[in-house]
Amino acid sequence: MAINLKIENKAVVEKIAKLEEHLHLQALKGFFAEVADMTMFTLRFFKEALKPRYEFKELIKQAYLIGYKSFPLIAITGLIMGLVLTIQSRPTLAEFGAESWLPAMVAVSIVREIGPVITALIFAGKVGSGIGAELASMKVTEQIDAMEVSGINPFKYLVVTRIAAATFMLPVLVIASDAISMYGAYIGVNLKGDVTFHLFFLEVFDKLSFSDVFPALIKTVFFGFAVGLIGCFKGYNADKGTEGVGKSANAAVVYGSLMVFVIDMIAVQVTSLFS
Amino acid sequence: MKKTTGNKVKLGIFVSASVILLITGIYFIGQRQQLFNNTFTISGIFKDINGLEVGNNVRFAGINVGVVEDIQQVTDSTVKVDMVIRDETRKFMKKNAKAIIGSDGLMGNQIVTIIPGPAGKAQVVDNDIIATAKTVSMDEILTKIKVTADNAAIITTDLAAVIDNIHAGKGTIGKLLMDSSMAGTVNDAMVNIKQAAGGLNQNMTAASHNFLLRGYFKKKEKKAQDKADEEKKASEKDKK
Repeated sequence: MAINLKIENKAVVEKIAKLEEHLHLQALKGFFAEVADMTMFTLRFFKEALKPRYEFKELIKQAYLIGYKSFPLIAITGLIMGLVLTIQSRPTLAEFGAESWLPAMVAVSIVREIGPVITALIFAGKVGSGIGAELASMKVTEQIDAMEVSGINPFKYLVVTRIAAATFMLPVLVIASDAISMYGAYIGVNLKGDVTFHLFFLEVFDKLSFSDVFPALIKTVFFGFAVGLIGCFKGYNADKGTEGVGKSANAAVVYGSLMVFVIDMIAVQVTSLFS
Repeated sequence: MKKTTGNKVKLGIFVSASVILLITGIYFIGQRQQLFNNTFTISGIFKDINGLEVGNNVRFAGINVGVVEDIQQVTDSTVKVDMVIRDETRKFMKKNAKAIIGSDGLMGNQIVTIIPGPAGKAQVVDNDIIATAKTVSMDEILTKIKVTADNAAIITTDLAAVIDNIHAGKGTIGKLLMDSSMAGTVNDAMVNIKQAAGGLNQNMTAASHNFLLRGYFKKKEKKAQDKADEEKKASEKDKK
């Protein structure tokens, strides 16, 4: 009896191991299939974007919705970011008697790193989820299929315009956010000190250089493209059913945010290579 | 249709405002790097630039008047530093000005400070090479401090050995301070000296009564009396 049990147990263990192996293989296959789909989707974007006729009207509408409508959120975040960073940095600098470095230090931190990354994360949260949910619901309710039937290229009309709008608008939002963050930093500096607006901005621009501004601005173009692309990809390829809408929106935010960090890491490496 | 136009205008204002902000930022950064000012270039040849970098400030009379534009190693021991200076400073900067590399505060960046020379020389011209002066580097200061510290260590070691010897009662000072038998000997010697002084006093009294020496002692006594009288007269005169 005991021997039989052992044999049965062994058989079960083998079955579980096979099942696990199968699942791992399936997950791996799923991952590579998604990478391939994503690559095809990206290539299709460039193909459709370069081919006339261009959907300028829809592009401007999306730029308004994605860019202009995100401005209040980005502005509030930027102001708080500058204020908090200044207040948090002050004690450490005060220990070294280097409080006069506060404007320059905060400016470099915001322009080079914190401004673009935080803005891109907020953007991924608001815009990425919005695009993902919108396209997914259109897919689920078969509106995309209906567009195809009526002779409109849904990829060109829905996907290209949204990705292009995200790519163009995120750098604009980052510039606005950086400027508002500087104002927040100015308020932060003056909470416990007394620095004139003129001196604050002289100190800020004294320490900033083109090598701080341009690489940061260029990477925001990639951030915007990644957030738009992932949002559209997840929405356009959503599963059937209402559950698919939620999944797409969630995946758009999660993968969009993750890609922001991945691109940031690559951008830092490339920038340090050339500086 | 009206709403679409309104949205377009809002978007246009937003994008334009951001672009203006970017251009303003670029202008200010460029102005700081002397991109939009009339400038001239001067150079200095240094032996050691102490970590000076392209973009560091150049100061003249304490004012930021330019930036370091280029740094080239000319030979194994000379480095040429090109500086872009605002044109309005040219009239104050003479050919005998000297450039030195210093630090902007304790933790600050390296800067080039141009010290004006005595008046009378001509103004600097574009691509002039001005004289440089060597500054004391932190390493040199530390080397000197190390030599002083080493000497202090040797002195304190020797001093400790001397104090050990004194404590052990070795040597003259050690015996004087620490040896109790020495104190007894010194005490005996003092008693002997006292007795000898008493004997000598008696001898001198006897000698003063001797007919051979009596004249000498009387003369001496008279001289002392005269001196005392003169002093008394002088003091009375002063009182009057």
